Amino acid sequence: MSTATGLSLIGRINNSANALGFLFMLPAAAILLVFLTYPLGLGMWLGLTDTKIGRPGEFVGLENYRSLFGDSVFWLSVFNTMLYTGVASVVKFGLGLWLALLLNQNIRFKSLMRAILLLPWIVPTTLSAIAFWWIYDSQFSIISWALVKLGLINEYINFLGDSWNARWSVIAANIWRGIPFVAISLLAGLQTISPSLYEAATIDGASRWQLFRHVTYPLLTPIIAIVMTFSVLFTFTDFQLIYVITRGGPVNATHLMATLSFQRAIPGGQLAEGAAIAMAMVPFLLAAILISFFGLQRRKWQQGVKD
Amino acid sequence: MTAQDPHNPAQPGAAAHSEGGMDYLVTRQRRLVTVYLPLAVFTFVLLFPFYWMTITTFKGKEDLYDYERNSPFWVSNPTLANVKKLLFDTAYPEWLWNTMLVAVSATFISLFASVFAAYAIERLRFKGSRWVGLCIYFAYLVPPSILFIPLATMVFKLQLFDTRLALILTYPTFLIPFCTWLMMGYFRSIPYELEECALIDGATRLEILWKIVLPLSVPGLISAGIFAFTLSWNEFIYALTFVSSSEVKTVPVGVITELVEGDVYHWGSLMAGALFGSIPVAILYSFFVEYYVSGMTGAVKE
Repeated sequence: MSTATGLSLIGRINNSANALGFLFMLPAAAILLVFLTYPLGLGMWLGLTDTKIGRPGEFVGLENYRSLFGDSVFWLSVFNTMLYTGVASVVKFGLGLWLALLLNQNIRFKSLMRAILLLPWIVPTTLSAIAFWWIYDSQFSIISWALVKLGLINEYINFLGDSWNARWSVIAANIWRGIPFVAISLLAGLQTISPSLYEAATIDGASRWQLFRHVTYPLLTPIIAIVMTFSVLFTFTDFQLIYVITRGGPVNATHLMATLSFQRAIPGGQLAEGAAIAMAMVPFLLAAILISFFGLQRRKWQQGVKD
Repeated sequence: MTAQDPHNPAQPGAAAHSEGGMDYLVTRQRRLVTVYLPLAVFTFVLLFPFYWMTITTFKGKEDLYDYERNSPFWVSNPTLANVKKLLFDTAYPEWLWNTMLVAVSATFISLFASVFAAYAIERLRFKGSRWVGLCIYFAYLVPPSILFIPLATMVFKLQLFDTRLALILTYPTFLIPFCTWLMMGYFRSIPYELEECALIDGATRLEILWKIVLPLSVPGLISAGIFAFTLSWNEFIYALTFVSSSEVKTVPVGVITELVEGDVYHWGSLMAGALFGSIPVAILYSFFVEYYVSGMTGAVKE
């Protein structure tokens, strides 16, 4: 193109990695700076104002956070978020790892199984949540019906009408959706472990548990760290499942920080308060990112020692 | 078969004994209980909601609410009434079209931006490219649930409220970081020598990207594309916040906000809405399972 002159603008840009890099980064950087970085800052600012829908706010300092501090519904949502994230993540990890170990055996139709079992993860959460909503119906719940028919319970379970039942119900739905992600990611990690390690350990007389504890688990740790970071992150910031199944009810019993933030900001019109609740999630997210970071560090360290 | 199984300590030498055949049977039974039974339970639990969704779609009133005369696990009088109501009495076809339009546009914008960004970070090695790569990773960790309020105020100020464009412009915020991260991994696997040869032959960087790197990373592009499409199809909180009229809603939002009228739940049409909203992603997914899985696991492993 520009080789004849060599000094034309296009030629100079082509020869400079920095200029060309800048040009190539431009579309992505522009979108992310305008619609991600700026709103992140704007969110922090909104949390320090008294903005409502249709009325620009003024700076009020930490007033929103002060009122949240004395707000029992906010603390309930923090408790719910912790419980939801804690229980769901641990169970998803346990069951996901188990499923991954099962799929890693010599079984028939392995790739078909893998494809089918990922379905809960790819189907839109909102739509599968509707199915759960129907499954948890107080009068026509299929679970209640089956349990009554089996003679295990006498009356239908009030899944979504009772605080604790509702909490466990949404946690179960979240676990259902998250297991495939954990299982398939861990399966990919399992498949990178060389069979010769198992052979060597078996010859040395290792039991199945020892094989898992001293071969599988240490080699899987780096992937576990990353998968669980993502899992915790997604669970902590979950919105869809709760919004569809309970809308935070009964009496705020299942409100997570994300749903409470939406509730206060959009239908309630208190944009500033919603933004403050959303910002209160950031310290937890940072903690999750740090865990992921140290997981990566550990992998580097392991590779350095092993190779 | 059992001898190749690294988890199974049964040695082929055991077959020399007279109980060799029995031994095989025992391990097989044991496998049935420890492997196939749990797998069957997992499959049942993970797939049951879809089965339930599907049969509820085709149930009439008497099937839907009367579990005593008609078994709830089966449809005795299949009916298309729910589907008909959904397709002709609601704006469902429009929601499907909107979702498709938004998902496809957002996917293409994101792929375009990501390919250039990933190539720049991974291959041009401009000053600070490592730092930019790290920023992209952190951008992926910023969840929509903390961005939707400030984004809503921006959307309002830009007069994009209640338009499809608002969704097309905001979806790339979570798609670009992911796609870039995925493409960086793919570009890393392409030998740098290929590019050096082309550079010596006088190709520009753009020509190299277009004629050498991209054709070699088609699997990566497909993975990223499928992923971006399903993520956009799945998106809920932005679509719920930025759009309010029925004719611009997406399927997840439309089904949740419009098919529920007060306390009257039309379970049949709700399930039909959920089913038909899931089918397009499921079909796309079934064609590209391997790409999807490799994209997911690749992103985790990087």
